[in-house]
Amino acid sequence: MTSELQFDITQRPDFALLTVQLQKGQKIFAEPSAMASMSNGIRLKAGFKGGWKKTLGRALGGESLIINTFTAEKAGEVTFAPGCPGDTVHYQLDMSTLYLQRGAFMVHSEGVELSGKWGGAKGFFSGKGLVLLKASGTGDLFFNSYGALIEMNVEDEYIVDTGYVVAFEESLDYDVTTVPGMSTGGKIKSFFFGGEGLVVRFRGEGRIWIQSRAVNPFLNWVFPFRPVQKQS
Amino acid sequence: MNFKIDCRPAAAVLNLSLDPGETITCEVGAMIAMTAGITVETTSHKRGKGGLLKGLKRMFAGENFFLNHFTARHDNQTLMLGPQLMGDIVHHDLDGTLIVQGSSWLASDEGVELDASFQGLGKAIFSGESVFWLKCSGRGDLFLSSFGAIYEVDVDGEFTVDTGHIVAFEDTLDFRIGKASRSLIGSFLGGEGLVCKFSGTGKLYCQSHNPPSFGQMLGPKLRAR
Repeated sequence: MTSELQFDITQRPDFALLTVQLQKGQKIFAEPSAMASMSNGIRLKAGFKGGWKKTLGRALGGESLIINTFTAEKAGEVTFAPGCPGDTVHYQLDMSTLYLQRGAFMVHSEGVELSGKWGGAKGFFSGKGLVLLKASGTGDLFFNSYGALIEMNVEDEYIVDTGYVVAFEESLDYDVTTVPGMSTGGKIKSFFFGGEGLVVRFRGEGRIWIQSRAVNPFLNWVFPFRPVQKQS
Repeated sequence: MNFKIDCRPAAAVLNLSLDPGETITCEVGAMIAMTAGITVETTSHKRGKGGLLKGLKRMFAGENFFLNHFTARHDNQTLMLGPQLMGDIVHHDLDGTLIVQGSSWLASDEGVELDASFQGLGKAIFSGESVFWLKCSGRGDLFLSSFGAIYEVDVDGEFTVDTGHIVAFEDTLDFRIGKASRSLIGSFLGGEGLVCKFSGTGKLYCQSHNPPSFGQMLGPKLRAR
């Protein structure tokens, strides 16, 4: 269970690629379609994992219901790459919990459990959905981003736009809010016209990971280029 | 104001540290993260100066009608900004006037005056750029973003840039629309169509990728709206 996982992350930060070395009998779990290549002797099994409650939780967390299990029938390697161009980071769980934003999970080793966490109504209505995935236990966890991943040490209070939060440690308190320090009128104005919609306010001490780009602004940019449906 | 540009060139972010009372004006939606001692104000123009017309003009320049102003209220405040598209960020120490292509402006400090400048209808239609460009004048820090990598050219004489690749240029430069090759048919067959021909002496910023061509490549593959 506690055997060291050998891995290497290359091509950072723009096109991060994760290579994992597996010993005979060792297992690794990944988000479907995250696998890029693997050596001979690695067996892939797709399936539900951890009972229906955890499966449903994962689905709420914006991840797939299915988790792929890679088992090494003989020693070999598997490479994983995220769906969008971006960065990948390793996090060591040691009887601890890390919260991941929707879609950020990529790979975890044995000993890590994934479940969903309801982010509250505000997160849900933001559209960006601060619907979180909870990774806990002891083992290795890998998550990915769109754009580069920036690690920040929060010591007191820190504010991040909801679309840019990737992961944070459980030692931090958080709430979803509008940009603080404004009059009500100013808040409404900033919310509707300022484009800074909702932010996550972190309090306490711990680490957070921020991505340098967000998917939604890019989609908004692409939208006008879509063909217009012909009226019949 | 101290700044640092990280994660260059593909996913660049701008890290700023602000002293109490310092203000940075930026594109709407550019804020990624910040410390808690910063307040945000949304206006259609510079702080304290209404200017509805300027807001409207800026909208034609391909920017948002509104601007966000971030002001530090305490010591040691930091702010992280980033553009929409994958690409780089550069700092320009402004002293004079820089003409910026609408979507390339990311942020500027209080010493920089923003206004839309009319480039002429003919130029707008043929260059595929917008009618108005953003005119940044004064003294201060100016941050530009690009789609893809950004490169600087010191123009002395004549220089040709394909439309869509211009980020910004000093107003000591003048440009006109011209053909890429000697014959018009040759220009279009070469896929270059019309190009911008700069003349004069000054600094020019270009981007390695052309956002409209990328959009036009993606568009037809998407479901009709």
